Amino acid sequence: MRLVGLAAVAALVAGLSLALWASPPDAFQGDYVRLMYVHVPSAWVAYLAVGTAAVASLLYLWRRRPAYDHVAQGAAELAVLFTGLALATGMIWGRPVWGVWWTWDARLVSTAILFLIYVGCLLVRGLAADRERGARLAAVVALVGALDVPIIHFSVLWFRTLHQTASITRREVSMAPAMLAALLVNLVAFALLFLYLVALRARLARLEAERAEAALEPLPR
Amino acid sequence: MSLRARVAQRGMDPRTPSALETGRADLQAHRAAEAGAAGASGVAAGAVPAGGGLTGLRRAAAVAWKDLLLEWRRRETVAAMVFLACLTAVLLGFAFGGRGEVAPAVLWVALVLGAVLGVSRLTVAEAEQGTLEALLLYPGAREHLFWGKWAALTGLLTALAAVLLPLVAVLFGVAAGPRWPLLAGTVLLGIVGLAAVGTLFGALALHVRGRELLVPLLLLPLALPVLLAGIRLTEAILGTGRVGPWPAVLAVFDILFLLVAPILFELVVEEV
Repeated sequence: MRLVGLAAVAALVAGLSLALWASPPDAFQGDYVRLMYVHVPSAWVAYLAVGTAAVASLLYLWRRRPAYDHVAQGAAELAVLFTGLALATGMIWGRPVWGVWWTWDARLVSTAILFLIYVGCLLVRGLAADRERGARLAAVVALVGALDVPIIHFSVLWFRTLHQTASITRREVSMAPAMLAALLVNLVAFALLFLYLVALRARLARLEAERAEAALEPLPR
Repeated sequence: MSLRARVAQRGMDPRTPSALETGRADLQAHRAAEAGAAGASGVAAGAVPAGGGLTGLRRAAAVAWKDLLLEWRRRETVAAMVFLACLTAVLLGFAFGGRGEVAPAVLWVALVLGAVLGVSRLTVAEAEQGTLEALLLYPGAREHLFWGKWAALTGLLTALAAVLLPLVAVLFGVAAGPRWPLLAGTVLLGIVGLAAVGTLFGALALHVRGRELLVPLLLLPLALPVLLAGIRLTEAILGTGRVGPWPAVLAVFDILFLLVAPILFELVVEEV
């Protein structure tokens, strides 16, 4: 696990240096394009986190092994973190490039909805009466949320595009090799970071559960 | 013996039934059926006579009948839902200036907001009155409990829509004309899916602090496809939009959650 952490740090440093110095500024956007190296990996890792949370939740509901729940918990928290990060960097990027903080673009709206669903998932876990029940209910929400994502995405997409022409379409990006390399390195770095954080969070959840059980043990004497 | 007869016999005020009473009646009826005392008492509220084992459909029907009967006697939930939905329609209509083209959006937003109010009521009332244990004591799968609650919720939402549709039509001066069965069908399709997700989250709300507070937060983002599809289909029916892929969106949502929600419901309500 420590190896994954070190690899993540190394990849992040490499990605950052590539993004800030090695890659050229965009012909139209100038240096603003460098936000892409944070924004796009955040969004991809957010989807990775949602997928991980859904699979781990399904496994937990099926097998009831606490280990799956710990992974699901970590992944759900990271899903909130990375969807939030993707939204925030997207807004910061959108303001200078598109001229607006927010646009009712399909991808933006479905990411925001995804963020809200997983905030709900965390809330359910936090508000549940006990640990086991919180795990079960949060798994149900994570699973339902992930199942709903494709429907939400397409309904939001069609809601805009079939009615009026989309006012802003993303510029076709055929990237320079240096930019593509920087993006790919950052993608790998974020994925490694995600793996490391999930592993850490799962370990922490396991230790918390063990401690909670240990605290209960002396009582029945 | 039907519940109504039972209540009349005991001289209780039929307007103030307790869910506890109904729950006990359910349990007694079920025990009688289990003991082989066929025909000794009606199942639940006397919807069907007990003759041997209970089939799933009859269990679900008994639960739905009980819920709807309780709601019919008090009319609390449905009144609150209708009031909130109408208020939303009036406020949004006033804010948008009552133009006809916003009518579909107002209709669906009001419907979904009204639904949120009623979704958790059916299950939370059971917990408040201590009858949930009785319901869960039934042997066999809890899937039928889901279908019963789902049918009751669908009934409530249909009642809500029946009031809301004419109101929106009047307020915004729009009319579906001869296409009203299409509109009714669209609303019903939306309600079916909403009720499936709503029943699941209503049960989920039982086991968290703050119960009803959480339901809107969970339900509203998930219900977005129903809202969007409903708006576009209503526009198409009123002649200001195209049908597009929206019937498919509604159908996929309904089918997905009618398949998934009963399974997850059993996981949610287990070991109260």
